[in-house]
Amino acid sequence: MAEARDPLRYFRIEARELVDQISAAVLDLDQEPAPDLVARLLRYAHTLKGAARVVKQSEIADRAHEFEDVLVPHRGETPVLVPAEEMRELLRLNDEIARFVGELEKPAAPPPENKPVEMAEDDEPAPRAATADLDELLDAIGEASARIAPLRDGSRTLSRLHRGVEALGDRLRVGRAAGDAGARSAVQRLAGEIGVLGRRLTDAVDQVERELDEVRGRAEGLRLVAAGTIFTALHRAVHDAAEAEGKRVRFAAHGAETRMGPNVLNQINGAFLHVVRNAVVHGIESAATRKAAGKPDEGSISVDVERRGRWVYFRCTDDGRGFDLTALRRVAHARGLLPEGREPGQQELIDLVLHGGISTSGAVTEVAGRGIGMDVARDVALQLGGAVNIDNRPGQGATVEISVPLTLLSMNGLIVEAGGMVATMPLDAVRQCVRLPAGDAVTAAATGRFAHEGQVVPFLPLARTMSLSAPDTTGAGVAVVLVADDDTVAVGVDRLAGTSTLVARPLPDLAPATPVIGGVAIDSDGNPRLVLDAHGLVAEAHRDVMVAGAPPDPGKPRMPILVVDDSLTTRMLERSILESAGYEVDLAASAEEGLDRAHRRDYGLFLTDIDMPGMDGFGFVATTRADPTLGHIPAILVSSRASAEDRRRGEEVGASAYVIKGEFNQEELLAHIRRLIL
Amino acid sequence: MTTVERRITRLRSDFDRSFAQPLGSHDSGHVELLAIKAGGRPYALRLAQTAGLHPDRPVTPLPGPLPALLGLAGFAGTVIPVYDLAALLGHPVTDRPRWLVLATGTPPLGFAFHEVDGHVRVAAEAIIGEAGGAGRRGVLRGMATLDGAARPIIDVPSARAAVHTLAGHAPGTEEATG
Repeated sequence: MAEARDPLRYFRIEARELVDQISAAVLDLDQEPAPDLVARLLRYAHTLKGAARVVKQSEIADRAHEFEDVLVPHRGETPVLVPAEEMRELLRLNDEIARFVGELEKPAAPPPENKPVEMAEDDEPAPRAATADLDELLDAIGEASARIAPLRDGSRTLSRLHRGVEALGDRLRVGRAAGDAGARSAVQRLAGEIGVLGRRLTDAVDQVERELDEVRGRAEGLRLVAAGTIFTALHRAVHDAAEAEGKRVRFAAHGAETRMGPNVLNQINGAFLHVVRNAVVHGIESAATRKAAGKPDEGSISVDVERRGRWVYFRCTDDGRGFDLTALRRVAHARGLLPEGREPGQQELIDLVLHGGISTSGAVTEVAGRGIGMDVARDVALQLGGAVNIDNRPGQGATVEISVPLTLLSMNGLIVEAGGMVATMPLDAVRQCVRLPAGDAVTAAATGRFAHEGQVVPFLPLARTMSLSAPDTTGAGVAVVLVADDDTVAVGVDRLAGTSTLVARPLPDLAPATPVIGGVAIDSDGNPRLVLDAHGLVAEAHRDVMVAGAPPDPGKPRMPILVVDDSLTTRMLERSILESAGYEVDLAASAEEGLDRAHRRDYGLFLTDIDMPGMDGFGFVATTRADPTLGHIPAILVSSRASAEDRRRGEEVGASAYVIKGEFNQEELLAHIRRLIL
Repeated sequence: MTTVERRITRLRSDFDRSFAQPLGSHDSGHVELLAIKAGGRPYALRLAQTAGLHPDRPVTPLPGPLPALLGLAGFAGTVIPVYDLAALLGHPVTDRPRWLVLATGTPPLGFAFHEVDGHVRVAAEAIIGEAGGAGRRGVLRGMATLDGAARPIIDVPSARAAVHTLAGHAPGTEEATG
């Protein structure tokens, strides 16, 4: 057993998670003391102490214990008042715990005694090896997909056999010659059994292919890291710089869930540590100066991460004094960087900072000048093929923005078919899909307009954009309503073909394409699949027709809906459908989580999957029906199970409606919901 | 040695030799050519200038400004743009080509054409050289006489250069950006 040989194997993972949680929560506590933060920190520290004792890591356990000692007096205190020196002590303990845990994570020193050699091989792999593991995993998934092809052939052969046997049965029934009743019924039975077997095999192969595709997409996504992983380090840098400067600064961060390659994030993190520190040291004024300027005592720094198409934007905004233009001018003059006899404009001076000309700090001290940080930011941006922009608002603050293109982009895609082509739309831009009867499709294509929720939005038939030779849509189709750049447009497609998780990469060199193509993904057969760019689609739709689109009216407040489904894709799809219909949606990834959430908030409706690990959807519905506080809330089962037996069970446990995923019809779903929810 | 034995020996040695000889032959006296048809016309390609021949490879059409760009094909996780040789040569584009040949060099690039007439090894002197490029976009260089008929030779590096120009790709960009 691996645990026996390496008792720390799982502790390292758990301790890392707890340390990360403690680090983030301590900073939050410092910023905004709240009773639940104290409770949470106590829980983390207690769990860590217990786990550390079990594996005899007394340094960690003792510090976790001291950590608890500091916090215990503040448990249940309202308002929470942790004195500054206690806060410092918490941070110090936090750092020490982090250091001990970090040491455990380092590759083990050579064993002191003569231990068997294979022990070393079983050691926890270094993080770097994770990429290699992922590559192997992806190869294995590719291999598995390739192995399915013969099965698919087999099911085709089976259906041919089925037809053959049925034909034989017909001949036996009609023909007089072979009038053996026994043989006839045997052949009929055989035909029936082959038919059932064939359908089962086809269904199973379909399902396995879908799942493999999903697994592949998620595995590829694992290569990418959430931007939120650098927020704690940035928060800490802000905290430490503020403390060193005797300033009070509030830190906020948004866009934690944006994912990108670890290399990009690491480099940006390095540059942004300088940027946020600069903002504290040079941007935020002392409390007295702020007060005099009519600003709140506490300065504010916010970091925002946002993805737009293939680009990711990292923004650091402070509400300080802005860049010191006078100092910049002085240094630039002294170095002869400015043309003689002309006063440089503000932007020109800022550009000098960005282009590595100057730094306002003469000597590089512990607190570096703004120029140094800008040099790093500029270098990183250049290295990653991006750019740095500064928005300086003298007296009001400054925003430093690094924008870099992403090479790999993990996303949920909506697969659409148009004009015989298959393409993927980014699901996060899709607000709604509306079925278009043939007549409406023709009108929309001809006028380039589409009525959606009481407003007219531009309509772009995708087939026309994708291929010049494709005829305009003549049959029925689907209008995919999507939003990008605060703009709503409808894109006409022939058919929706499901959703998938995928990793989009940029188009290769030598392949210029229309701007509606954002990139390309590789499907499970190894073939490229085009990924559409929501911004490109919006721009293209507007190029055809110029229709001013006001943002949709926010619907009247309604009770929120709880979606319970273990598939991320389904959760996201259902959420997007429901939110676009004006509902507020909460998500749970399991029935257990769903029950927990159901008790913490008043919902108007539960929407649950059936097949989930742990308690299933029937269990969830039955449990909520039996609960006096939840029994009145209607529940809808959404499942790929289509049998009458399952429907009957759904009714038995008390589900209000049963929607089959395969026939997923959002209008039907919304109709059920409108009927059930007030 | 009986006739049959001699024949077996010959077949065996031919078979073995077929493995021993690399694609781009080291033999400077001979040139390996791929006789093809693009847009209904006979041409030849130097095998040494190619990096693989593939039939019936799925190509995902890519809408864009270049009609010669057929689309994208996947090769072991790499996405490769595929251009229609017939269109590059100025022939009217008819049906979709069936064959695909990968060009040597970077960035990755594939050329598609309609038919393979055969793989031949000709004496170097059977090729009539040409210093400069000829034909549309200068992609033809020299002629080879095969089976009594003359075939213009498509110079793959010139065809690549033509694609780079079409796609607005500065030569050597990939080195510049590292």
